Amino acid sequence: MKRLLPVVLLLLLMLASMVVLRLSPWRYATQDRVSILASSTLTHPAGTDELGRDRLVRAAAALLIGIGGASAAATITILLAAAAGLLAAFSPSWVAAVLLFLSDGFLSLPWLFLLMIVRSMLPLTASPLTTAVITFLVLALLGWPAFARTIFHGARGIRSSEWMIHGRASGLTARQLILVHVFPNLGSLLLPQFFVCIPAFLMAEANLGALGLGVGEPIPSWGAMLLELDNTALLISTRWVFLPIALLVLVLLLLEFLTSEANAHV
Amino acid sequence: MRLSLNILMRAARALLLVVFAASGTILMVRCAPGYFSDAREMDGLYGQVAQMEMQTKRKTEDSIRETIAKTFQSWARGDFGQSRQYQTPVAGLMASRIPVSVRLLSEGLAFGWLLAISAALPISALRGNHVLWGAPFTLLLSIPTAAMATACIVANAGGPVMVLALVIAARDFKFLRHLLDEAWSASHLLLGRAQGISPPRLFARHILPNIAPRLRALATLSLVTALGALLPVEVIFTVPGVGQLAWSAVMNRDLPVLAAVSVLMAAAVAAAEWMASQSALVEAG
Repeated sequence: MKRLLPVVLLLLLMLASMVVLRLSPWRYATQDRVSILASSTLTHPAGTDELGRDRLVRAAAALLIGIGGASAAATITILLAAAAGLLAAFSPSWVAAVLLFLSDGFLSLPWLFLLMIVRSMLPLTASPLTTAVITFLVLALLGWPAFARTIFHGARGIRSSEWMIHGRASGLTARQLILVHVFPNLGSLLLPQFFVCIPAFLMAEANLGALGLGVGEPIPSWGAMLLELDNTALLISTRWVFLPIALLVLVLLLLEFLTSEANAHV
Repeated sequence: MRLSLNILMRAARALLLVVFAASGTILMVRCAPGYFSDAREMDGLYGQVAQMEMQTKRKTEDSIRETIAKTFQSWARGDFGQSRQYQTPVAGLMASRIPVSVRLLSEGLAFGWLLAISAALPISALRGNHVLWGAPFTLLLSIPTAAMATACIVANAGGPVMVLALVIAARDFKFLRHLLDEAWSASHLLLGRAQGISPPRLFARHILPNIAPRLRALATLSLVTALGALLPVEVIFTVPGVGQLAWSAVMNRDLPVLAAVSVLMAAAVAAAEWMASQSALVEAG
């Protein structure tokens, strides 16, 4: 039950965002030029930004894009980490040494610094959708080293287990062993890593966005919406400007509880 | 003999990691679109002949391998090159910014650790309610560094040291609490408690020596966290440190500065890891 509560709340938040996007007459990029920097009104329940875009719609879209993008990136990361970890565990020791050195190489630079370098090296003229895909793809491609070592140790433990030796002696192929026996046993290790990835990626996207290297405008993202807090005039005119950051903190808190619960069950 | 060989091997590995990080950065920047573009091309003051000369010069630029080799050769001579953006020697730029970042990092790390230890110790020793007492740290964990820094500016309270300390404390508290909980529940400590030995004495005599190796690993992790948090903190608070220099170099594709900052960051992480593993090796004999 304790484990279900954050999941239910997260799903409810996502559902509410979908309802807002479906029912609102505004789109996330539509400008209402007669109500720029508006406070809460019937037409715009959470006001508008400095370009006259509905803040509630943008916050709802940012929530869905953030969670969707971070989940997709986390899936890719975990698959890459599982592939690297399994390859290292089931290959000759020199392959494992090379792979682990590679992963340590990535980890020798602080995560945000590495992300910033890679993200900034990509084309500056990309479309907003491309920047969104690139941002989450970069997160996914740079996230695997942090998890590969954990998966490597888990897989090595499985490799030397008695039932694996028995399976090999019974003539099972490497493919059968990995797909039928190793993967299901690694599940309990992969799932918590997946849940750890999502908040880490959301945080990274928010930090990148705040540095101007995240998802491009007009696609709403938590990182880009944090930049609104720099506008003092806006902060004085309406408190609704804090809505995106409040939602982000709520989502991260729920994910933190989910991660703690998932780790407690390993 | 074996111990010194082990220490030497680890040092070589740390050095190799630094070279790997530097080569990777040079490769990425060198391949980045816009690396060869020159701001002067947009300037109408430069005539067609000058523009053509710039294009000819660009064509004679070195290959990736040559760029990496030349960069390492000049580093070996102590020359970190010229910043493309500021047109000044990189060594001079770094020299004025390193002390600022080191001071910020050390103050942030010191306050962060102090905060994490002073919260984790009583909670674990008195077996306090983890969810309740740990709630502020859980909340801090859920706030991105950039948001925390922006909130400080908006509220006109706190500064870069406070944000860095809070980021470090939030992460370290979680690990420290787990570590101390595990340590306090050991059977020999239960016996010690039953015999009436005071908690401070139990901590100093029995817990600290046991958790010391893991504390060293946590210190390395703290440094990595702090280096990562340094970027948004310095950029948002406009602190003239290495993080801000790195951000500006990234934005302007300033390869010499970026490569030097990468080496510096990788060297700091490698040195911290090496020192942690070295002291563990010396202790193990």
